Amino acid sequence: MTALLSVAQVSWRAGAASILEGVSFEAGHGELIALMGRNGAGKSTLMSIVAGLRPASGGSVLVDGRSLDDWSPAERARTVCHLPQAVRADLPFAAWQLVLMGRYPHANSWFESETDRAAVETAMRRTDCEAFRDRRASTLSGGERQRVLLAACLAQEPRLLLLDEPSTFLDIDQQLHCFSLLREETQRGATCIAVTHDLNLALTFCTRLIVLAEHTVALDCTSAEALASPEWLGLFSSRLHLNAGPSGGPWVSFT
Amino acid sequence: MNAGPNARAWLVGSALAFAAGAVLFPLAGPAPLDYGALLARREPEWSILVQLRVSRTLLGLFAGGALSLAGSLFQAMLREALATPYTLGVSSGASLGAVIVIAMGGHTFLGVPAIWSGALAGAAAVLFLVVGSAARQGQMSAFGLLLTGIATNSVCSAAILLIHGFASMAQSFSIARWLLGSVDAIGYGALVPFVALVALISAWVLRQARHWNLLAVGEDWASARGARVSRLMLGGYAAGSVLAASTVALTGPIGFVGLIVPHVARSRVGADHRVLMPCSFLMGGVLLAGCDALGRSILAPAEVPAGAIMALVGGPYLVWLVRQRG
Repeated sequence: MTALLSVAQVSWRAGAASILEGVSFEAGHGELIALMGRNGAGKSTLMSIVAGLRPASGGSVLVDGRSLDDWSPAERARTVCHLPQAVRADLPFAAWQLVLMGRYPHANSWFESETDRAAVETAMRRTDCEAFRDRRASTLSGGERQRVLLAACLAQEPRLLLLDEPSTFLDIDQQLHCFSLLREETQRGATCIAVTHDLNLALTFCTRLIVLAEHTVALDCTSAEALASPEWLGLFSSRLHLNAGPSGGPWVSFT
Repeated sequence: MNAGPNARAWLVGSALAFAAGAVLFPLAGPAPLDYGALLARREPEWSILVQLRVSRTLLGLFAGGALSLAGSLFQAMLREALATPYTLGVSSGASLGAVIVIAMGGHTFLGVPAIWSGALAGAAAVLFLVVGSAARQGQMSAFGLLLTGIATNSVCSAAILLIHGFASMAQSFSIARWLLGSVDAIGYGALVPFVALVALISAWVLRQARHWNLLAVGEDWASARGARVSRLMLGGYAAGSVLAASTVALTGPIGFVGLIVPHVARSRVGADHRVLMPCSFLMGGVLLAGCDALGRSILAPAEVPAGAIMALVGGPYLVWLVRQRG
């Protein structure tokens, strides 16, 4: 079975500066991957390249064994969704209107169908957005807006979810809820790559970790392997230690 | 997006206002019309109504609609409430073209008044310049368009000032008069192609309404939801420019309608462009044609240009609206 996503030797240069070099990895069905790395490691850049939002300077990205360039934008949008790190805060749209935009690639006509509306309601219920479905996005708090954007991604019903820091602005309960949702999506067979800085969230929920450092993939292993040999923590900071939490779960502490 | 009852009411309401304007505004004007004479199609009443007032009202309705639609289109593409054909330099390009022609004393060119050709040529020049410089970098970015527009504006205004300074007294007066912006009597020979062009381009713009929704959130957001962003931005910029330029060619620079109408419409009907754009078009048309009807009635037989009325009424209203929010 071909991997859903195959990234081979992808590079990205901004002017003379090289941001990504020779990035390669594959992602199969049902994987929940944490993409990590320090600030400026190129995580967001890699996400937008994989999402087809910008062409790589070199290398190839295949989805379902087909180069991203060969996908029409609408076809790609029915398969791949991208949650941006942030959208502008003063959006004039109501929350439900933003979520409904996830249905645009599915709806052929000028108006959406009952199916589309049902998908919107389901997505908003799952992300706990019903209380503010009619409010303008500009009046929402950062965390509420983040949940609306996540709902928009779920409503898109993609097979590959690319989420750039989905848990930013979320309170702790909502962070856990967010990653639980992602796990639900992967249990249905979707593949999910989430950028996060939270090592505990990553080790608890994700099946696999990919760490970018020095412009390329510095670590690519399953969460179990990462727990077994924690030297990789040095990629983030020399002050981190891996312990077993009181309940047996992983617990990264710092000095 | 399922239009709520509110949105539907605004759509129907503005369509009714547009239709009512088309019927009622021609009745306003310096010479009172005898309705009995009109019904009997007696001259000169019938000619005044059909040749002067009806064509002029239609020009106002479609010019106002085109400018408002172009305004809401640019505002969606650039995610900037201040984006209008003016801020993007298209209108000043058209104005410069027209002013050059006035200063040269041209009258007709290829059968159409020379001012129109000048305005269209000026707008086209700006269009190619801006699109050319943006396209060379491989993509149309909102920021690049806005910046190029602002630069174009300064250059064109400076050039207009320069020409104004060198022009003779009479030419200087007609330049100043043209720059005020007004809806004037127009022959059907020019009106029909204008209306057809506006209708055609507006139809294309409205067909893309969902894409403008996506672009109003962000370019990456749109691209991730199936829009071909570069192509859309190019098409949208060209469509908005042609709408604005063909209007400026006929009316002179009437700036305000493209700013105020989309702003008011957005605050009333919401941001879904499937409702916002038709409402903007219809309300913009009614506003401009209404200002023109008012302008030719209040100081009759003298005429106040529609652009001046629009600024006098619209300026304070916009400030009031902003203060209400703040």
